[in-house]
Amino acid sequence: MTLTAEATRTRGAQPSSAALRRRRSSREALAGYAFLTPWLLGFLLLTAGPMAYSLYLAFTDYNLFAPPEFTGLENFRRLFSDPNYLQAWKVTGIYVLVGTPVKLIASLLVAMLLNNSFRAKGFYRSAFYLPSLVGASVSIAIVWKAMFIDNGVVDRTQQLLGFEAGGWVGDPGRTVPMLILLTVWQFGAPMVIFLAGLKQIPTELYEAASVDGAGAFRKFARITLPMLSPVLFFNLLLETIHAFQIFASAFIISNGTGGPARSTLFYTFYLYIRGFQDFQMGYASAMAWVLVLVVGAISLVLFKTQNRWVHYSGESK
Amino acid sequence: MRRITARTAALTAAAALTLSACGGGGGSEEPAAVATTPSGPVTLSFTFWGNDDRAARYAEAIELFNEQFPDITVQSNFAAFADYWPARTTEAAGRALPDVMQFDLSYLREFSENGQLLDLAPYVENETIDLSGYDGTLLESGVLEDKTVGIPTSTNTLAMFTNPNVIEAAGASFPDDAEYTWEDYNGFIADVSGSGAASAEGQAFYGSGDYTGTFWFFIQWLLQKGVTPFNEDGTLGFEEADVLEFLDLTADLRADSQLYPTARGVSLLPKGGFTVNEVASEMSWDNFLAQYTADSGTENLEMQQLPSIEPGEKALFYKPSMLLSAGANTEHPVEAALLINFLLTDPEVGRIFGTSKGVPADEEQRAAVETTEGSVDAKVIAYEEEVAELVTESTPIPVKGFGTIEAKWRTLAEELGYGNLDPQQFATEWFAEADLAIS
Repeated sequence: MTLTAEATRTRGAQPSSAALRRRRSSREALAGYAFLTPWLLGFLLLTAGPMAYSLYLAFTDYNLFAPPEFTGLENFRRLFSDPNYLQAWKVTGIYVLVGTPVKLIASLLVAMLLNNSFRAKGFYRSAFYLPSLVGASVSIAIVWKAMFIDNGVVDRTQQLLGFEAGGWVGDPGRTVPMLILLTVWQFGAPMVIFLAGLKQIPTELYEAASVDGAGAFRKFARITLPMLSPVLFFNLLLETIHAFQIFASAFIISNGTGGPARSTLFYTFYLYIRGFQDFQMGYASAMAWVLVLVVGAISLVLFKTQNRWVHYSGESK
Repeated sequence: MRRITARTAALTAAAALTLSACGGGGGSEEPAAVATTPSGPVTLSFTFWGNDDRAARYAEAIELFNEQFPDITVQSNFAAFADYWPARTTEAAGRALPDVMQFDLSYLREFSENGQLLDLAPYVENETIDLSGYDGTLLESGVLEDKTVGIPTSTNTLAMFTNPNVIEAAGASFPDDAEYTWEDYNGFIADVSGSGAASAEGQAFYGSGDYTGTFWFFIQWLLQKGVTPFNEDGTLGFEEADVLEFLDLTADLRADSQLYPTARGVSLLPKGGFTVNEVASEMSWDNFLAQYTADSGTENLEMQQLPSIEPGEKALFYKPSMLLSAGANTEHPVEAALLINFLLTDPEVGRIFGTSKGVPADEEQRAAVETTEGSVDAKVIAYEEEVAELVTESTPIPVKGFGTIEAKWRTLAEELGYGNLDPQQFATEWFAEADLAIS
């Protein structure tokens, strides 16, 4: 608010005072950059620099020891004839396409439950958030593995319920579902964001809808979802990008192999194997850049489609 | 409205931070970089791969070292074998390798060709490292391009481990190990797997896992066949037909599901069917006995000879193992050499490690290993003595990229076990990978 008012005033002010203001604002800008310097340095040295270098490496043959050798597009050509690379896309695709929506639905449902008022809701909110705090840790992946191994908790429950016996860890068809369950269980972060979004929806809207005789489902579809769409968009974007980065849990559960039968050979994991186990840094860099482009393209598509379904309450038409 | 949005923004920012924190954790630990040393007392960094047991033994050895050299502080660090190499390569790229480190033959060439390892020859010549108790031919394995870049601590040779309890429960008997062939061994596997015997938990017993899944066994089989696995010029000495013939050894057992199920084996990692006492036999390096005994809790594991193509013609070889090397970037080459010498030749160190790193290469260390009747060390030494005459082949010097092609063999074998691949696809994919890795 104040900004606009100031801008209007500037426009109508005397030239001398405008010059003064410009000088002051340039001094302010300078101070701003000065404060930004530590971050800028970190960004340039630790992020932008290495990224630019990896772009160069993507066009070379580099084994970490000998100097990189320029090979043009060879790495990229190789990518698409590498059966492991295609397998990596396949499992990552399944994980992203299935895991992300399931996780978002689960977190939205829990957020809606927690949005009701009941006793000790602070406790429940913290309790539901907890898995996300510990979930990324190595120990949880180990616990997960122990639960899904032959004769583990899950296997025994399965047998009790009359399903076929057998752990999930050694079954290539069930390792991805197992990892999807792990990520869904860590729904805390999107849940908190959803909860914040839900709190923002004015209760008058629901009251008015009730007066008009709308049922719970109708209220959800016509009020909650549209009002929540900016938050939903944010969560969708973040969780999709995050899902592409799955690494630690797969690394631990497969014992660093991407097995059984390459079923956990996720994109970043395969990249790591190529770079740090096979010492093919050029090839790994090429993989990294393809991933950056793909994730970038997906984000772009999401942003492009947002004006079709994302409703910002501030907008007026 | 604005106030609430600000709160949302703060929340989302916090959440995003948590998310990016999640993305960062790679899982493998980063060992300490080379210490910058003040004048006077010196600190050496030392890394090795292994488990807690080995770490405890090294700690004991280093304590002894400090009694002799109180001014040299040794900072040691260890990781599992698979995590060990990514860490070393990263350090090599930054020319920050540890002063002293345990090395494996399969990675030696890569590091040495790029000048990452210190030439220890001057210290051997001036007897800082005293190798008088060593067999000369063994030392050649650590000499590349006329530089002594690694010195083996010990030797290993392949052996067949058996679990008498499982064999007995299955009502089977192990063939005469001096004369049996691969076909005889397959017959034994089928006997155990087909017996219907099972563990107390109801897990079926099997004769063996699919032994064609281990690259070193293929090398051993090639030697028995008279094929030199790797040529002097760093190329492969075998072809696709050899791979197919080897994979075909267990084709019938695979088809009849008489090999330990891959799914079960995978879910037991890092243990295996043999160490959970569900498999009657497994081939491996002979120094594995200590680990096998500890992991399985079975005291009466036995060691037999390997099967062969022609009865009795085992074509065994010694694999020099646990080489010690120094980083070319070390600031304290003399101290590093002193530590290497101590670990390789001190008799007390030999006693501390026993045969857990293989049979010590140094004469005095070998003599110092306590061989109480029936102990693990006694069994291993007895085995090496028994097969000493059968060791007729020189060590196949691994090609560059050996670690990669060995790992690839294992992955493909797993897929073969799941039935996702046939042997022909296995061979095609493996050679495609090998061509890239070796070149």
